[in-house]
Parts: sequence; C-alpha cells; structure tokens
Amino acid sequence: MENIIECKQLTHYYGKRLIYENLSFNVPKGRILGLLGKNGTGKTTTINILSGYLKPRSGECRIFGQNIQDMDPALRRNIGLLIEGHVQYQFMTISEIEKFYAAFYPGQWRKEAYYELMNKLKVAPGQRISRMSCGQRSQVALGLILAQNPELLVLDDFSLGLDPGYRRLFVDYLKDYARSENKTVFLTSHIIQDMERLIDDCIIMDYGKILFQQPIDKLLDGIRRYTCLLPDGYKPSLALGDDFYHPSLIRNCLETHSFLPLQQVEARFKEAGIPYSGLLCEKVNLEDAFIGLTGKY
Amino acid sequence: MRAIFYKEWIKTRWYLLLATLTMFGFVVYSMLRINRVANLKGIEHVWEVMLSKDVVFVDLLEFIPLLVGILLAVVQFVPEMHRKCLKLTLHLPVAQLRMINQMLLYGLVALLVCFVICGLIMWGYMHTVFPHELYNRVLLTAAPWFVAGIAAYLLVAWVCLEPTWKRRVLYSVVSILLLRLFFLASAPEAYNCFLPMLAIYTLLLTTLSWLSVARFKEGRQD
Repeated sequence: MENIIECKQLTHYYGKRLIYENLSFNVPKGRILGLLGKNGTGKTTTINILSGYLKPRSGECRIFGQNIQDMDPALRRNIGLLIEGHVQYQFMTISEIEKFYAAFYPGQWRKEAYYELMNKLKVAPGQRISRMSCGQRSQVALGLILAQNPELLVLDDFSLGLDPGYRRLFVDYLKDYARSENKTVFLTSHIIQDMERLIDDCIIMDYGKILFQQPIDKLLDGIRRYTCLLPDGYKPSLALGDDFYHPSLIRNCLETHSFLPLQQVEARFKEAGIPYSGLLCEKVNLEDAFIGLTGKY
Repeated sequence: MRAIFYKEWIKTRWYLLLATLTMFGFVVYSMLRINRVANLKGIEHVWEVMLSKDVVFVDLLEFIPLLVGILLAVVQFVPEMHRKCLKLTLHLPVAQLRMINQMLLYGLVALLVCFVICGLIMWGYMHTVFPHELYNRVLLTAAPWFVAGIAAYLLVAWVCLEPTWKRRVLYSVVSILLLRLFFLASAPEAYNCFLPMLAIYTLLLTTLSWLSVARFKEGRQD
C-alpha cells in the first residue's frame, strides 16, 4: 500500500532533553492514524516535524514522497493542517476567511462544504472569529479543511477545549469525510474515547520511543486487563516481567494488562508464587488499553 | 498576492486610517504654524529665520514616521505570532520567502503611500510661499525621519517574527542602536550626502525578517 507519510529514524532533543530517538513510522493512504501518548512524549513535536515547523536533530520525514523541509509549495495544497487549539486568523470574519483561503486553492476549493458547517453554527457571516467560542472556532477550522479538500489531514489535538457535543460533531464530520473520500488522516488528541470512534491505526508513544504501532482492532482484540485478589498484607514483587504492563496494587487488588491469554497468565502467576484468587480477565476499550500500556503516572 | 494583501488589509485598515489621520494632523499643524508666523510677521521674516536660525518648522514631525512604522509592524505581525498563526500563513501553497516578502511589501507600500501623501501636503503648501531652495531644505531635513519610519517597520517586523523572547530582546536592542543612526544630527539637511546610503541600508533590513522566519520554521525555542 502506498505510504503518504514516511518518517525515518527521527531523533529530537529540546536542549539536552531527549524527546525520542530513531522514531520511524509510516501512514498508508486512506488510513486514519491516531498518535497517542501522555503529555511530554512528543506528540506535538511529531506534528510540528510533520508540518515542517520543527527541524529534527536527525532523521527525515517525507510526505507524498518529498522531504517536508524542502517540499514543493504546491504540494501543500494537498495537506490540511489543524493547529492545536483550532487556531485560525482571529481578526477575520467567517466570510472573510473563506474568501482569503479560496484564493489559494483554485479548482479544489469547496465553498459549499464550509458554509454547510457554518450554517449549523447559526452565526452571521460577518461574525468575527475572535468573538466565537472554542467550539465554534473548531467548526470554522474544520470547515476550512473540508473546503480545502486535501488528500492528507494533519490534526493536532483536535478535541482541545471542546465540549462533548462539539467533539462528537467534529469526529462524526471528520469520520464521514475521511471514509467517503478515502482521505489519509494523522491526528492526536487527549480524549481517547474520540480516537476510538475515529481511527484505524494507532501509535502509542512512551517517553523516548514508540510503544505500539498497530491497527486498533488488533490492539483491542489482543490486550486484556487482569485483576485478582491477594491475601491481606501480602506484598508481592510487582516486577512480573515484560509481558505484564504496569502492575499496580490497590489495597489487596492486583491489576495489570497483558497480551497473554488467561491460561498463560495463570501459569506465570503460579510460577512467580503469587497466592492470587478470583483472577478476572476483561476486554478493554482504547482508553483503558492506553492507560494499561503507559501506566497511570 | 491579492489574497495576501487582502489579509494584511483586514489586519491594518483601521490602524492605517488612524496613522494617516495622525500624520495628516501633524503636517497640517506644522504648515499652519508657518502660515501663522507669515501672517503675523511677513513671509520674508520666515525665510530669514529659516536661514539664520536653522529652523525648519516641521520639527514636530521628527518621531512621528518612526512611531507610525513601529506600530504598523506591531499591528501587522503580532497577530501572526499570536498562538503561532504564522504556521497557517506558511502552510499556504506559496513559496514561503515570497509570502513573507509580499507581507513586507504590503507594509512598505502602505507606509510609502502615507508618507508620500504627507510629503505632497507639505510641498503643496510650501511651494506657494517658499522658493524651491527653502522647501527643498525642509523636505530634505524631514526625509531621514521618513526613511527611519520605514527602517523601524522592517526592524520591528524582524523582532516580532522572531520565535524566542531572548532573541526578541536582543534584536530590540540592536534595532534601537540601528535606528539611532537616523537621529544623530539635528541640523537641517545634515543627512543630504548620506541619504542614498541610508536608503540602501534600509532596504537591506528587509532580509532580517526572513532570518526570523527561518528560525521559526526550525522550531527554535528559548
């Protein structure tokens, strides 16, 4: 499958602080890929590198086969960019901003897609963006991207500052658009429930590295949450091995996540001499899987 | 280019109106001063004072173009840096250097129009009451102040587009020192020989903004 984004061996530092080293990933055409990670793991750094606003210490990022740092300006027609916080020109009105952007995308600009979304907001065309709520601004930013009709959408923390209604509206519009027109989307968000409704593949980042890169179905089919009870006062070693993610003990309840099936987990617990009882194996949603894999702290 | 000029116009239209009216007010007031003295003591007295006491009657204008240039750059480029809006501008499918040059060109054209209107008002009145040697003397004395306004615009654009605060402070200090060059001598026509050099020096300042944009693109942080 043709890759729209190819990042190879990206390494970046802020001062002496390593953000990540030798990070490589691809985004195939027509897929929606979500980048998940705790604060400070480098999600926005990756978006900034991808959009050409940060030069990595080493490695390269190619979009549509061209290095992002010296990309042909015309190729940017095919990349829709949503900046964290749905930033748009605050000094413009709804109609002025549409008129401004339309001039840069002759032949591909879909004015009606923008105004369809604006009509839902019930705001006047003369409304200044600076006087709109965060939710309304998110719809302006989304409407402009839909009107641009790019092949690739890069969205940085699209759910930031949105209430549940606007988040749902954003996700539903984006999903419908990306699916029906076979668009490629690369996005980040702090609200993982939204990601679960939207994405095909996910990259889960931990400090300095990629923890997982898998189709979301495969991740959710494989990962299980295991909980069991331990005798009162029993303090087990929480170093259960690499197959168990972030085991934690609250009172006498042990919780961990693993890709191992139940039988193997039981065998491993017995091997470790853990006096457990009531071992429970549960399927989890993406948010629980994310927390299970990256830890609560 | 029309679309970029459209965006810059939306940002600056009210400021430009205010700046033009302010400059217009100062110029008209200066001309009225000359007219008042001429009415009271005769135009010959005005000529005599101008020649014997090095008076040009437009000294009120000295720092106005500078202020107009500084504020235009602030009005035009601070919104670009607010929440890093410049990313949106640089993401447009146009060569980034060309984009920045067009934004600067808009500002330069706006300033030139404003300054030329003021110059024409001054000339329009003075050529009716002064011989050409005298009104040239006034206009040439004021010329470095107007060039300083353009230089201030370019220097403040350089400061505003810089992504880090440490460098902004450093660039501000450098800008003040560079602008000091335009106000070293207060005598009329002191800059006559130096004016072409000053104009070239000002034009070269255009390149500084691109350095800031290059640093912005590299994601430089404090």
